[in-house]
Amino acid sequence: MSQRCPLLVPTMLLLLAAARAQQQPLDAPDFDREVRPILADRCFPCHGPDAGKRKAGLRLDVEDGSRATLESGERAIVPGDPANSELVRRIRSVDPEYRMPRPESKLALSDAERDVLERWIASGAAYRTHWAWRPLPDLVPVPAVDDARWPRNAIDSFVLARLRTHELVPAPEAPRARLLRRASFALTGLPPEPDDVIAFERDDAPDAFERAVDRLLGSVAYAEHMTADWLDAARFADTWGYQSDVHREVWPWRDQVIRAFDRNLPYDEFLRQQLAGDLLPSPTRESALATAFLRLHRMTNEGGSVEEEYRVESVCDRVETIGTAILGVTLGCAKCHDHKYDPFTQRDYYGLSALLDDADEAGLYSHFTDATPTPALWLPTADQERELARATRRIGELEHALRIATARRADAFAAWLGALTDPPALTGASGVFGFESIAADGTLDDASGHARRGRTAEGPTLGPGAVGQALQLDGENNASFPGAADFTRDDPFTIACFVRVTEHHDRAVIWHRSRAWTDAGSRGYELLLEDGRLSAALIHFWPGNALRVVAREPLPIGRFVHVAARYEGSSRAAGLSLFVDGVPVATDVVRDALTREIEGGGADALTLGQRFRDKGLRGAAIDELAVVPRALAGLEIAELAAPGALREAFAHQNEAPQRGALREVFLASHDQELTRLRGELRDARRARSAIVGAIREIVTMRDDVPVPRIAYRLERGNYERRAEPVEPAAPAAILPWPKGAPRNRLGLAQWLLDPRHPLTARVAVNRIWQMHFGRGLVPTSEDFGTQGQRPVHPELLDWLARRFVDSGWDLKALHRLIVTSSTWRQDSRCAPTLRELDPDNELLARGASFRLAAEAIRDGALFASGLLVREVGGPSVKPYQPPGLWEEKSGTSYQEDPGKGLWRRSLYTYQKRTSPPPAMTTLDAGSREVCSVRRQRTSNPLQALLLMNDPQHVETARSLAQRTLHETVDRRARIERMVRRVIARAPSPGEVDVMLEAVAEERARFAAEPAAALALCSVGKAPRDESLDVTELAAWTALASTLFSLDEAVTLR
Amino acid sequence: MNAITRRALLARFGLGGIALRALLDEERPLPDGLHHAPRARRVVWMFQSGGPSQLDLFDPKPELVRRNGEDLPASVRMGQRLTAMSGNQARLPLAGSIFRFAQHGDCGAWVSELLPNLTRIVDRLCFVKSLHTEAINHDPAITFFQTGSQIAGRPSIGSWLDWGLGSDNHDLPAYVVLVTKGKGGQPIYARLWGPGFLPSKHEGVQFRAGQDAVLWLKNPDGIDPPRRRRMLDRLRTLHEFARDAEGDPAIDARIAQYELAFRMQSSVPEVTDLRDEPASTFALYGDDARTPGTYAANCLLARRLLERGVRFVQLFHRDWDHHGNLPGGIRSECAQTDRGSAALVVDLARRGLLEDTLVVWGGEFGRTNYSQGKLTPQDYGRDHHPRCFTYWLAGGGMRAGHTHGATDELGYNVASDPVHVHDLHATVLHLLGIDHERLTYRFQGRRYRLTDVHGRVVRELLA
Repeated sequence: MSQRCPLLVPTMLLLLAAARAQQQPLDAPDFDREVRPILADRCFPCHGPDAGKRKAGLRLDVEDGSRATLESGERAIVPGDPANSELVRRIRSVDPEYRMPRPESKLALSDAERDVLERWIASGAAYRTHWAWRPLPDLVPVPAVDDARWPRNAIDSFVLARLRTHELVPAPEAPRARLLRRASFALTGLPPEPDDVIAFERDDAPDAFERAVDRLLGSVAYAEHMTADWLDAARFADTWGYQSDVHREVWPWRDQVIRAFDRNLPYDEFLRQQLAGDLLPSPTRESALATAFLRLHRMTNEGGSVEEEYRVESVCDRVETIGTAILGVTLGCAKCHDHKYDPFTQRDYYGLSALLDDADEAGLYSHFTDATPTPALWLPTADQERELARATRRIGELEHALRIATARRADAFAAWLGALTDPPALTGASGVFGFESIAADGTLDDASGHARRGRTAEGPTLGPGAVGQALQLDGENNASFPGAADFTRDDPFTIACFVRVTEHHDRAVIWHRSRAWTDAGSRGYELLLEDGRLSAALIHFWPGNALRVVAREPLPIGRFVHVAARYEGSSRAAGLSLFVDGVPVATDVVRDALTREIEGGGADALTLGQRFRDKGLRGAAIDELAVVPRALAGLEIAELAAPGALREAFAHQNEAPQRGALREVFLASHDQELTRLRGELRDARRARSAIVGAIREIVTMRDDVPVPRIAYRLERGNYERRAEPVEPAAPAAILPWPKGAPRNRLGLAQWLLDPRHPLTARVAVNRIWQMHFGRGLVPTSEDFGTQGQRPVHPELLDWLARRFVDSGWDLKALHRLIVTSSTWRQDSRCAPTLRELDPDNELLARGASFRLAAEAIRDGALFASGLLVREVGGPSVKPYQPPGLWEEKSGTSYQEDPGKGLWRRSLYTYQKRTSPPPAMTTLDAGSREVCSVRRQRTSNPLQALLLMNDPQHVETARSLAQRTLHETVDRRARIERMVRRVIARAPSPGEVDVMLEAVAEERARFAAEPAAALALCSVGKAPRDESLDVTELAAWTALASTLFSLDEAVTLR
Repeated sequence: MNAITRRALLARFGLGGIALRALLDEERPLPDGLHHAPRARRVVWMFQSGGPSQLDLFDPKPELVRRNGEDLPASVRMGQRLTAMSGNQARLPLAGSIFRFAQHGDCGAWVSELLPNLTRIVDRLCFVKSLHTEAINHDPAITFFQTGSQIAGRPSIGSWLDWGLGSDNHDLPAYVVLVTKGKGGQPIYARLWGPGFLPSKHEGVQFRAGQDAVLWLKNPDGIDPPRRRRMLDRLRTLHEFARDAEGDPAIDARIAQYELAFRMQSSVPEVTDLRDEPASTFALYGDDARTPGTYAANCLLARRLLERGVRFVQLFHRDWDHHGNLPGGIRSECAQTDRGSAALVVDLARRGLLEDTLVVWGGEFGRTNYSQGKLTPQDYGRDHHPRCFTYWLAGGGMRAGHTHGATDELGYNVASDPVHVHDLHATVLHLLGIDHERLTYRFQGRRYRLTDVHGRVVRELLA
């Protein structure tokens, strides 16, 4: 470590400086590098792609526009003739009224920038398509270089060719130990084992490094490391975000990503599954699970939020995530207006949104229940799957038996009817309320004989009814009936009453059993008026997990109408019927997808006339409520609507229609055999529901919206301001839609993965490069547009991208190619002069050095200390976190894991968006609210405090000391062992001296303060090794803590 | 290039102070210093989270009281959207305040009986009764106030100032956040003081009541300050070896980072320890201020931070979200906050700090003039109302004893001199010597600023 590395001959530095100075030739400026950045930044805001903001009819982002004769009669650019080019006159003018850019824009040009534009026009004003929009070439020639020894692969030829033009030479290869540490962190996010380093240092086989790389790429740690990177892009978090920020269970998606990287799923297939795994020709549960990627956006449950506003936000987040993570462009700019710099129109934005808006989803999640917002994918265990199949089969058998039995009951019916002397009675109601009086305490009498009482709230009154008095409702008051109607989706029931409305209701609640409307995802059952029509539903989570039927005809206004809803307990829309005045009415099925329970949310009583934050039944009256826990026959419902119907039918029992109706009554309510079979069927359904209720669910995409939504361009991105409809499409300026591809997410994947797509492969390759060099070939890895930074090595980027595509999008091969290149293997040390001339290492005349990511710093320390728990996947864990952080923000409390959750890899750390883990964010990890593909790397004192004082790090220091003390007794050997574990190299003699002195002094001082020694060794939940002398352990713990604080411990060099 | 690189590194790795002139060209916000002479050098923003009712504190409406119980006229609402909480109510009954209002001070400012301490300092305050915002739910509304955008991800106002101006104290962060401890109500979130796309060191640093005011500030048990010093000395020696071997200036930054952390281990406890305050301080702020984490204690702590050169101190006090039982709720919040808010203004004035310290008080929106839920003679609730609400400001360059803007007779819409959130932001920046249109940061190819493409300095508010 002590040797210096004068890598550069001083004269070369002078040449480099001279070359830089000469980069201002008098001839044509480079359009990509010099001209476009000026035009884009200063001119495009008013003369660019955004048609809405374009001034004077001038468009400078396309060649034709720049030549056009303007409204004023002038031409902005006359190629070769600056003097007659209005652009030049304007930028040279001193008249504030005439000068461009206009002074109030505060975008003034410098003299040098004016010169560039003028020289460009003088040289012919040639345009060139922005490099990133050009199709990926089929073939990228590798430059010939005169050095046959240094280049190991084509990467090196590109780099060396560039170095030659700057009269630079590459750095020598990094020392062996350093190389292995770098490869280990770069490929797995973990340091190497000391023994592996020693073995590698001694392994002089020519392929020693390649073998080490293959070993690293073959480890599951590689997959975890790659996943950690994708989690940022996918805005993965364990909570929904926004203010209440409730828990959600999406870790199964994270594990799917780990499995995909572990088996080196080709990147094209990986993306296809993330975007459209449910739409593949033969989708699997695993491929469908991948689409949770598109649902990881934030959602809110804040009371009073407008559902459509947030649904639109969800879809927009998908567009922008694909923009940043896959296309590397800032599509978000085109949400409100045409992009000001890049060729994306607002219609392009909403064209993409149309492709991503096919799910039957809500904009809000449920506050009162823990329902998984639809669409949701079931993730049953193998046992559950078996049990489920068995239970489903049993239901099928019983339904069949019931059908057979029903057909065979003719004799029994005849016998029953023949034995009847009076009309059959309507019995078995679980609640009958006539609303004839309200008791002083606000309760209501139940005439059903169950002695249950109804309750009233906000003082409904009584007034003239269909029979005697009726309940008068004002939209805010209600009556509710605890215990009278506790139905599950497996229970048949009938609910009937008279209703009189006095106006057309766009929406109003007649009755329901549910805690709330959107605040509960409408969990429960309900009868509403929607656009004046009866609408009955059973709902687990609206809209994707529910049944709903809506009457075709509006409900009559101004008189008492008898309305009844009958449900057969089948979880099918066909089993849900509506009756008006005792007669079944025609309905349309709006939803038919109920698969989970309808109880929950804290609602326990059938309620009339009003619901939390919903529209009540204003100006209406309800009378003669009857609740029956079975599916009544039509004639029985007619009896409720007009008493005497049964008697009338009984009197005419030999006429066919009446006899048929009576037969139905018998089968529904009086046949013991069918009653028994229906009971068995209900039990079988309940048994199945019990299995279903325990099955884990996760948000995914599914193209299951019943009526395809029409996408609109939204003025200013405002959900309330729909402009013209927009067809599903991808930005054609990048690449035309593939011929014959479906206009859906699968087609979008096909478009993205076209072998000539200008962006997908370039962006992917650039991010892998960024992982290995700390900086992409395009440094702005999130923005390949005209405002992003241009690549210094555009040909290398293209070659890598082409190679990547041609390799079958093989990620491991790409990593291997990069890290085995001579370029990557260079030493990162260099002379200060080179550092000053090329501070960002753009030319790659040295190896990379950069601070490790938050995860790698923590995981590396855990690994070195021996505490790291190497379990892969599973629910997220809650390691040490300073107390009170959740509590002071929201009242939820952070429960630290009691055991191994403290020591898992950081990609498993629980991510709460509104209070992200500070051990991560202090080291520049984001809060995962939106897609992010590049983290900052800052240095601040809070990081020092974290490494010095976080119990996690104090504990790793003590654990490292413990294991070291057991490994060897010699103090120097202990120091070497410890240093090797933390920074993967042997210490220098000077370092050893400092450390020996440290241990000696601290041991002496701890000997005088045994309580302090014990206290230090007791930090953390990992048990202290009591076989070790506490004074000794404390001294070595202090040293280990110092080592973990080293710059070298947190930096990749 | 040489010099720029060195300065850039210093700036990037320091905690501020020299930030202003030392950032790289691309990053440098104020290349020539401030845009104009500042009227204020620091800001304390007392954020009342949840949305206090302007109608019960500052904006008396006799007409509303007179028409108590009548329906909100459609001509007043003009079809504007309501939240989905009261938007479905069958009736929207007008609800006059049950609290008594009186005019106070020489300026004759109206303040209700709920804020007795504030009534005594109204001549120092500038009331804005015509503030309005765009968001109607808490999260987007508070995000809008903090970042100038309803969409999460932009830098908070304190981060903008930290980035643009840095700190006058090298041993303390430039942007400090203090949250009243133990409050219920609507949640708040770390991103409200987040740096957005600015370098993450510009994130607000929360000082928390209790032993560790800053996360991990305290040494572990068994490591006392002398031992920590010895450990850091050895670390420094090892770092110097590494620097000599690597030639990487980032190692110098790492050394500086540890030294600053060590200084913070004494500077932060020093500033947060209120025990050295004289009895007169507690006579002013009240005995509540002796309990760490109370609003009053945070007001006092804010003064100590401002005194030491912290640029931007932001208090958050939750639980003003009075949808129901407003009279009970607002009494309780006022009792907790009135004395501290007023004491801070007085205290700053006594110390001569008020003239260059800007004090801002307010929440994310106002509350409706109609009752959410049932209206009774003693009880009512109010829903979120973005169309008009009141802020008060004081100190650094504000026009004292002035009231700006007015609402209509029912207190539903702004009647004159509207002030948008962007305008308030522009005005705050202006007072600090910054042209809000020129404090821009390039991110994802676009120049961003706190005020987006809007904002107007409200000169009528300036002294």
